[in-house]
Order: sequence, then C-alpha cells, then structure tokens
Amino acid sequence: MKSRKRWIIGAALASAAALVVAGCGGDSKSSGDTGSSGTVTKGGTLRLATTDFGFTNAFDPTGEYLGLAWGYYDNLLTRGLVGYKHRPDADGNLIVPDLAEALPEPSADGLTWTVKMKKGVKFAPPVNREITTKDIVFAFERIGTKSLAAQYGFYFDPIEGMQAFRDGKAKTISGITTPDDSTIVFKLTEPTGDFLYRLAMPAASPMPKEVAGCFTKAGEYGRNLVSSGPYMIAGSDKIDASSCAKIKPLTGFDPAKNMTFVRNPNYDPATDNAEDRSANVDKITIDINTNLQDIFDKVERGELDGSPDTPPSEVIAKYAQDDTLKKNLHVFSGDRTWYITMNLSRAPFDDIHVRKAVNFAIDKASIQQAWGGETSGAVAKHIVPDALYNGKFPTDYDPYPFDVEKAKAEMKQSKYDTNQDGVCDAAVCKNLFHISRNQPPWTKYNPIIAENLKAIGVDVKTQELPTGTAYTTIQTVEKNVPIASNAGWGKDFADASTFFGPLFGSATIIPTGNSNYSLVGLTAAKAKELKIGFPAGGVPSIDADTKACGPLLDQARLDCWIALDKKVMEEVVPWVPYLSANSVEVSGPGMSQYVFDQNSGEMAFAHIAVDPSKQK
Amino acid sequence: MGRYIIRRLLWSIVVIVAVTLFSFLIFYVLPSTDPAAAFAGKQQTAELKAEVRKNLGLDKSKPVQYLTFVKTLVVGDKYGWPGFNKSFNTRDGIHDELFRRLNVTLQLAIGALVIWLIMGVLIGVLSALKRRTKWDRAAMGFALLGISTPVFFLGLVSLFVFWFKLKIAPGTGFVHFSDNPGQWFTHLLMPWIVLALLFAAVYARIVRGSMLEVMGEDYIRTARAKGVPERQVITRHMLRASITPVVTLAGIDFAVLLSSAVVTESVFNIPGMGAYVLQAVNNQDLGVVMAVTVLAAFFVTLASLLVDILYAFLDPRVRYT
Amino acid sequence: MSDALLEVRDLSVRFDTPDGVVKAVDGLSFTVGRGESLGVVGESGSGKSVTFMAIMGLLNRAYTDIEGEVLFKGDDLLTLPQSDLRAIRGEGIGMVFQDPMTSLHPLYRVGAQIVEAIRAHREVPKTEAWKEAVEILRLVGIPSPEERVRSYPHELSGGMRQRVMIAMGLVLKPDLLIADEPTTALDVTVQAQILDLIEALKQELNIGVVLISHSLGVIADVCQRVMVMYAGRAVELGSRDEVFLNPVHPYTWGLLESIPQGGAQSHRLIPIEGSPPSLITPPAGCRFHPRCPHRFEPCDVERPALADRGSGHLDACLMTSEAKAAAWAGRQARRNAVPA
Repeated sequence: MKSRKRWIIGAALASAAALVVAGCGGDSKSSGDTGSSGTVTKGGTLRLATTDFGFTNAFDPTGEYLGLAWGYYDNLLTRGLVGYKHRPDADGNLIVPDLAEALPEPSADGLTWTVKMKKGVKFAPPVNREITTKDIVFAFERIGTKSLAAQYGFYFDPIEGMQAFRDGKAKTISGITTPDDSTIVFKLTEPTGDFLYRLAMPAASPMPKEVAGCFTKAGEYGRNLVSSGPYMIAGSDKIDASSCAKIKPLTGFDPAKNMTFVRNPNYDPATDNAEDRSANVDKITIDINTNLQDIFDKVERGELDGSPDTPPSEVIAKYAQDDTLKKNLHVFSGDRTWYITMNLSRAPFDDIHVRKAVNFAIDKASIQQAWGGETSGAVAKHIVPDALYNGKFPTDYDPYPFDVEKAKAEMKQSKYDTNQDGVCDAAVCKNLFHISRNQPPWTKYNPIIAENLKAIGVDVKTQELPTGTAYTTIQTVEKNVPIASNAGWGKDFADASTFFGPLFGSATIIPTGNSNYSLVGLTAAKAKELKIGFPAGGVPSIDADTKACGPLLDQARLDCWIALDKKVMEEVVPWVPYLSANSVEVSGPGMSQYVFDQNSGEMAFAHIAVDPSKQK
Repeated sequence: MGRYIIRRLLWSIVVIVAVTLFSFLIFYVLPSTDPAAAFAGKQQTAELKAEVRKNLGLDKSKPVQYLTFVKTLVVGDKYGWPGFNKSFNTRDGIHDELFRRLNVTLQLAIGALVIWLIMGVLIGVLSALKRRTKWDRAAMGFALLGISTPVFFLGLVSLFVFWFKLKIAPGTGFVHFSDNPGQWFTHLLMPWIVLALLFAAVYARIVRGSMLEVMGEDYIRTARAKGVPERQVITRHMLRASITPVVTLAGIDFAVLLSSAVVTESVFNIPGMGAYVLQAVNNQDLGVVMAVTVLAAFFVTLASLLVDILYAFLDPRVRYT
Repeated sequence: MSDALLEVRDLSVRFDTPDGVVKAVDGLSFTVGRGESLGVVGESGSGKSVTFMAIMGLLNRAYTDIEGEVLFKGDDLLTLPQSDLRAIRGEGIGMVFQDPMTSLHPLYRVGAQIVEAIRAHREVPKTEAWKEAVEILRLVGIPSPEERVRSYPHELSGGMRQRVMIAMGLVLKPDLLIADEPTTALDVTVQAQILDLIEALKQELNIGVVLISHSLGVIADVCQRVMVMYAGRAVELGSRDEVFLNPVHPYTWGLLESIPQGGAQSHRLIPIEGSPPSLITPPAGCRFHPRCPHRFEPCDVERPALADRGSGHLDACLMTSEAKAAAWAGRQARRNAVPA
C-alpha cells in the first residue's frame, strides 16, 4: 500500500467571513502577502509547535511521504539537482535549478537527461565534504533498496535498470551514470515529461554513503540526516562519523518531543539563489504540543510564531473577524481536491447517466458551507486543482451546476429508471452504503448528500467511520464500496500526472491499499482476480490518455492534461469533485514575514523571518 | 501474614501471565488483518512488513510467537529491559521512551494523588461531621461539579483564565525537576489540581459516605463512652475505619491513571504515557499501544497486590481470609 | 437517699426525625446507690438504652432534646461542660455495651483499646498502661491475658470479647457501671459466667451497677432492684423480690408470663398481645392501655404516675391493689392450668 504523501487527513475550517481566497473561486485572488508587521531582518528563532510530527517513514527522505516533511527537506535541509522557489501560487510550483547549474533539457527522444552540477557545494557536518554526483547515485541506490521502503520509488521506475537493481539482478543502476563528479546522466526507458518534478523529490537529493550507508532499515537514517541545505538538525556537528558504530542519533531530533534546526556552517549562499532560500532565521524549533488549542493560544500571545497544523475553526473565525489578527491569517490554495467517488464496477454507478445525474444532484455550495465557506476552499468543478495548470484551465468551466431538473433528465436516460420519471426505481438504487467520516465537516454534510441523492431516487445508508478506518474500507477492493465521500487527494508534485496516475490508472488497482476507488480502467480479468463483479457495459479506461500526455513537455503537456481532465469529468465521471481546498495557517506577532510554499503546501520555512522584539 | 503475601504474590504472577496472554491474543491473534500489517502501521511496504515479521517472529507458529513475545518482555531486548521491541513508526526502541514518559506521568500522578487524597479526605470528613449543614451542601455541590465537569473543559478553562487572561500561571508544557525545580512545580501545579479535582470530588463523596456509616458504628459510641476526646474519636476511630476503602481505591485509581491521564496530558502538553499512547494511536503505532497496554496491566496488577497487602496491614480482619 | 450515686429526675428525651418527634423517654425518675445494682427491663424500644445514652451524653444533641436532671455525685450531667463530662465518662461511669463484636473497634488490638481508655484520663506511660490492661483482663477472667491483650477483637470468642468490654468499662474503676445487654449474644453458660463476674466485681469494688436487659431472667439473677420500662416510662420499680414475687403492673405480668421459669416446665408461655406503640404519637393516658387486658374507664385518659399504690413498691397502674391481686392470681391460675 502506498502511503500517499497527500492522503489528506483533513481539517474542518471555519465559517470565516468573506476572505481573499486563492485558487479558482471566481473573482478571488491570491493573498500573496508577507504577513508582515515590520521590516524583514535576519536572525532570531522561529518557534513552531505541532500536535504530532506524523512522519510516515521516521524522516528518512528516501521513504518519507509526509507533505510537511517535504517542506522541511527542500526549504531547509536537502538540496536536489532541481527544486522550487518556495513561493506561493503557480510560481511556487515551477521547477528551478538548485544543485544543477541550469535547468536540464532532455535529449530529442526524451530519453536522456544530462545534468551538470555546481561545484563547491558541501555537506553539513559531520560529513563536511563537497557533494558530488556519486552522492546522487547513492540516493537512487537507496531508492532501489527494498528494506528502506521508498514509498514513492515508483516515480523513478522509468529510469533504465532501476527494476533490475531493486530485484538484486544488477549491482548498479545502469540508467544512471556519472562521467565526472559534476555530471550525471539519466537514461529513461520511456519519455517522461515530468521527470524534473521527480528529480526534485527529496528521495533524489544527495546522500553521503559514509553516513546514510550505515542505515539499512527503513526510516533509521531520519535520526542522522546529513544536510546539504542552509540548515541542519541540531547536534550534527557533535556526531563522530568515523565509523558507523560511532554514529549516535542526533540530539536535535526526538520523534516524540521536538526537532531543532540550526544554520549549516558549510552552507554557501553563493551556490544558491537567495530568492529561493532567504534563510532569515538562525534557528527553527518545532515542539510537540498535544493541545491544539493551546498551540494557537500561544501563537496568538506570541509565545510561538506559528504551527504547521491547521487551526481549529474557531481560531480561524477569530482571526478572520479581528482586524489586528487578520493580517496573520494566511489562506492559500492547498492544491487538493475533495470528492465523492462512485464505484464504476457496480450498479447503479456502472451507468454513466446515473453518475452524471449524481453530479447535477449534489449541492456543492452547501458542502462548501459545511466546510466553512470560502476560507476553506472553492467549489471544485473538475479533478485537478487549478494551480497545477499554471492558471491555464478555463475558469468558466462548470459541467455540473447544481440543478435537480438536469439531474432528473440524466436519470431518465438511465436503464435504472424504467418508468422514465427522473427517479431511479431499480432495487440497486436502494440501501447503498455510503462511506464517510465520523467528524465535522463530514457529519455536517452527510445528510445533505443523502437528501440530494434522494431526489433522483438514489437511497444511501451513510456509514460514518473514523478517518483511518474509512480510508482502509474504501481502499479494500473486495469491500466493493458503492459510493464514498471521505476521500481527498493532493498533489505529490505540481503535475496533473500525480492525480490521473494513482487515482484512475488501471495499474494502480490493487486488492488492498488501492487508491483508484472508482476502479477506472478495471478489466473483466482483473475483476475476477479481485473477486468483484464486472458490469456488462464494461468500465471506461484512461490509460491511453495518461500515457499520451506523459512524455509531453511544457504547454503541450498542460493542454493534454486539461483535455484529459475535461474528458474524465464528461466521459468517465468517476467523481463528484466538490471542494478545491485551501491551506490555512496563522502566525504569531513574532513572525515578521510569512511566505507560503505552494509546492509543499506549508509555510515556506526558507523565507520566514521573525522579529525577536515581538516574541514572548 | 507472610503466607498471605506469598499467596497474593503468586496470584499476581498468574494474573500477569494472563495479561500477556490476553495482550498477545488481542494484538496478534484476534485481528482479522495480518498482524505484520497492523504493526507496520501507516506505511505498509512489503519490505517493512517483512522486517516486522522477522522482528516479531510472525512466520513461526502462534505458540512460538507468544513465547517470543514473553521472552522479549522477560529477558529484554537490545533496547533495554523489559523488552518492548521497536516502534515501526519512529524506528526507535520503545523501551527508553516508554520509561521516560512513565517517569513524567508518575510525577503528574503522584502530585495529583497527594492533592486529591488531602482534598477528598478533608472535604469528606468535614462534610460528614457537619452533615446537613450549609457547609455539607456546599461541599457536596462542589463534589457533584467536580464529578460532572469534564477534565478537558476544566483544563482548558483554567488555562484560559490563569494563563491566557490573568497571566499568573505558566502555560502548558513540562519542565524537568533537574532543569529548574521552580518551573517544574509551577508547570505541574495546574495539571495536578485539574487532574486531582475529579478524584477529589469522587473521594470526598466516598469518604463522607464512609464516615457517616462509621459514625453510626457502635465502637464510636464505645470510644466516646470511654471518655476519649472528640478529636481523637474523629481521627483515630472514625477516619481510621473509613479510610480503608479509600486506600484500596486510591491504589487502583493511581495505577490506572498511569496510562489514562490522556486528557490532562494532552491539554497541558505533558509528555507522559497517556499522550504517548494517544500519539501512537494516531500514528497507528501498534507496538507502542501494546507496550503501554502491557505496562499498564502490569501496574494495575502490581497496585492491586500492594493494595491487598496494605489492606491487610490496615485491616487485621483480612489477614486470615 | 443520701448515698445515691446517680439520681435521675424527670428525664425526658425527644428525637427530631423526618417523621416527627419521637418521645423516647418521658418523665423518668430513679436512683442508683453505691454498691447497689439496678436492673432495667423492657422490650426493645422501651427507652432503656436511650435513657443511659442520654445520661452519658452519647446522643447527638443536634437532633435530641433532653430535659430533666441527671445528678451524678451531685453534678448535673446534662448541664456539665463537654470537657467535664468527658472526664466522667469512663472514669466516673463505665459503660459496657451489648454486642461486643460491633462495640469494639475492629482495627485495634483489644489492649490498645483498653490502653486508650486509661490514657484518655490519666497520664500514664504506655508500657504501664499496657500492664494495667493485662491486669484488668486477668481480673475479668481472660486466660493468658499477656497474649490476649495483643489480639484483635475478631480473634476472640464472643464471651472473651464481652469480658474485654467489661474490662474496658471497669479499668478506670468507675463508681458506676452501666451494662447494656452484656450477655445477649452469649450462650447460657458464658452468660452465667459474665453475670457472676459482674456481681463479683460489684462486691469487690463496691460500685453501683445498672444492668439493662430485655430478659427478666438475667435481671433476676443479678439485681437487687428492678425497674420495668414501657414506651419511655417506668411502669414498676422495686426490689427484686417485690417485682418478681409480687408484680403489680399488667405489663410486668406479661413479661413474666412470656419467659420460661426455671424448673417448672408446665408453664405456658404467653406472649404479650399487640406491639409496642409508636413513640411519635403515643397513646394518651397509660401508654400500655391499648395492649392491656385489664384496662378500664380512665386508662385512656389519665396518666398514672409512678407511685406506691399500696403494694409497698412503686408502680404506674390505675387499678386498685385488690383488683391487681385478683387479676394476677387469675392469670397465674390460667397459666398453670393446662399442661401442654
């Protein structure tokens, strides 16, 4: 089971007053503010707290799949060949060179990527030596080491020889070569248009064999991560790395208590772009505080400067309504979509007219209200969040406005509406299990969904489950869940492939831990294998489309994904997308500059500044 | 007396063996899912599951698994004694963190115990002595309030009032005694009181009821008839007789508290066992949940043993039963 | 009665209860002299125990209203300050309660409980007090008192516990010993031993003894004087012989008829009909009249005072002495008439 980086655990948001909202919501625009109250100065300590780190692989970048961890890595600790600007909006989703001298270009056939690396970039203590392309190669060897549980290693499968290495059939990865210490060449088996996004992932950042090689079990390297970025985990300079046996876990990271980052003495800003990492503060502390309310009380009082956790709805409401606090409320597009998923393999959702009818029947604005109105996000009208299309998706696209008459008109065309009155009258429309969560805002809108569906004769029995159980239920294909509204999806990186691949690819249908809940692309053979039924009319597939878009670059790539998004909405109709959710954070008076990092969906630690005189 | 203790001790060992057996059943046998998957938690790669399997000996037969589990506990593992294996979430041995947190929770629980016993007994005794007066009614009103007010509410309200608004109390968190004794005390004071209040209320009612019962006993009349001063009648005769059930209760409550001060620890951000197990549940870290379960069961067993022995000291009638 | 140790005059005790005021004792007067033993007899609820609890100040004054005078060696116990009263309890008046299982503190060794009594009144070192405790246990006839003194109440037999109670009541050599049903829970042989013991101690220490019992047999064995109580009042008071051989109150007759008399097996046992009256709303006039087979005109209105009505001792029945003699003779004849 792949633990998706952006499996969304979810957050209830406040019904805050009208706010400036990022994303596609009509006339709203991004509030790319600085959250500042004073000039930006260097120095000071950024003090954060979270209820739980929530790491999925104990902070080893080879396997770690938590969005926030990615924020720490590429803002502060690990520099990849390419990276991001750590800025909000579409700009923050653009790839820029980092350790690479310039943005690499693929060969004409799209199969070879040659990257020239900057010289003179050094690892932080205890390694203290220049980073070479060999350290990148070692990172890829770690990705190919099964025991390290690289959770998103599949992104590197197009590299030639990756599979052979993983299976132990080869000692090296044939597709990665290093002509010299500052040149690295990747040979792919198929053109991969988003290859640079993949290279920007933390698992592909350089790792020194002399330390990382000491850790052969999943996650253990997380306690001794060697930095290449502007900061390092505190205590790194106290480590004796002369032999594996002498390496003790860093004092600056206690998974149960806290994490401290300090400046990396070996970091040379000249090798980096100050626009991408301003590295203002001297120190960053993240403490675990089990009381979420308390965290935000401390933020308000200035005892903390912020939290990566989503504030409780009443905190957001307070910040939205209070003039002095308002400037410390930061709302940006979270690049994630919440949706109702329908199971294409079973009646009545094997009939596209039923699925379209459901899309018309659902009152998405009411669901948005249940989430907390516009602060929480915009009503979603298609699959992939707009920021991933670099603002190119037509803003007036709205295939399924809330319209009961249109819903009934669709239902009339369905074979399950035998008397053609726009209301499903087949037995298969009765007593359908609808999986949802047992907490707000879901509990607020589960009745709305049930009520909406009743209008077209679809009668659901809502099962409200805890977050984890709800996911496990819909991820187990055998359970054959007809309809569910507990799920959300966020990007792994700013390319639509991170939606279409895992969510609708036939290859991703697996018995447990499945993320293609709608079973798009299911074949009769696979259905048999999974012990579920297969509808007479078959199930649509978008594998060919995904494959066609995959190798493309730049504008052609965007256009291809946009067309596919529309196709999925109109010809496949696996979902009712209802909310394009925002990321909401608040900062304390001590934070003199807030910047949002669109890529990680968290605050841009690389650009945050504090004013110690306003800290308590 | 010696035989009594030995008998109770043997019985406790039987109970602890049963506890390990039940824990094993609950965590290894009963779940319909693959235990390897359950222990691997959030991140279920085949490799990790293989590591879990190897670590817990899941490829062996169930009895062998059980023996491995018990052996790890009894003999210890590379992370310390008793052995609790590792957390597949933090990739760290559970032992050290567990005992660090136990230490913190002990400090919280002992302080709370002292406060709630003093408060509970004092209020209960006064209330019984002045029964049916305004004082009694006020005290029992307080008790009802204490029993019915949820700890999280009390915790949040007291934080809001004393820290956020009045600024006379330090905020949440925990300071080690060795770092700063003063800070240690001020940081623990509010959690102690909040945690103690519920128990104090319960105990006040118990003590009051017990006192009222004892006050009507013939031997209290005897004591007065002997000319024993009233104060001594209250302390030596009434209180002494009514305190025994309280001691029993307090012992068990204290032991249970070691793993169940979840709310107080969460609200006041105290890195104790309760917060640990909550975190583990959120992270699907079954190894930690199991370790806490076993340790908690052990403490409850130990407490009930100690309480039984103490009871025998407190009440000579028990010794020969 | 110049040698009266205890003189009770017109004692009334009323309890406030949620159901109403209970008139538990109503205008009771009697005396106990030094070296004298008074037996107090009556059914449960007749007020015998309450009377002596009131005398000892063991009733909770918050709910109790006590009137009258209780003179102990000239001091009125009812008006005495708490501290002085405390000094009299135990040392001036010793008390032995019924049911020693519940009257001894279960959590302390019997020796400790005796020592506590000693040290509540005298500043004696603990070791000395313990020695004294051993001696008093020896005195009340407990075998190997050196060991027994360290026993807990539950480790002793009922008879032993009762002896401990008596020892505790006597350890301070009080002038007056009040023994409330000291033998109720005991079997007959032990009962006799205990009664003999009390008698012997009375002789030896020349103290006044009040023996409270519902059993006329016990009273007859020990006491020189007898007071019969009914519903909070004394109905007959006289020497043992007077009361037992020449009873003049129908209630006393009833009591006598309801116990087996030693040796004579042919007697029928005749229970007193009816049940004791409510003390919240007691019957007017003679409180016994609703149950009395001899009641006549004024019994339900006129309250009979306790007085010598021609029998030579005190009683509270309105019948003439002739009528009483006739009635008692008739009852005795009927009783002896039919062998079972």
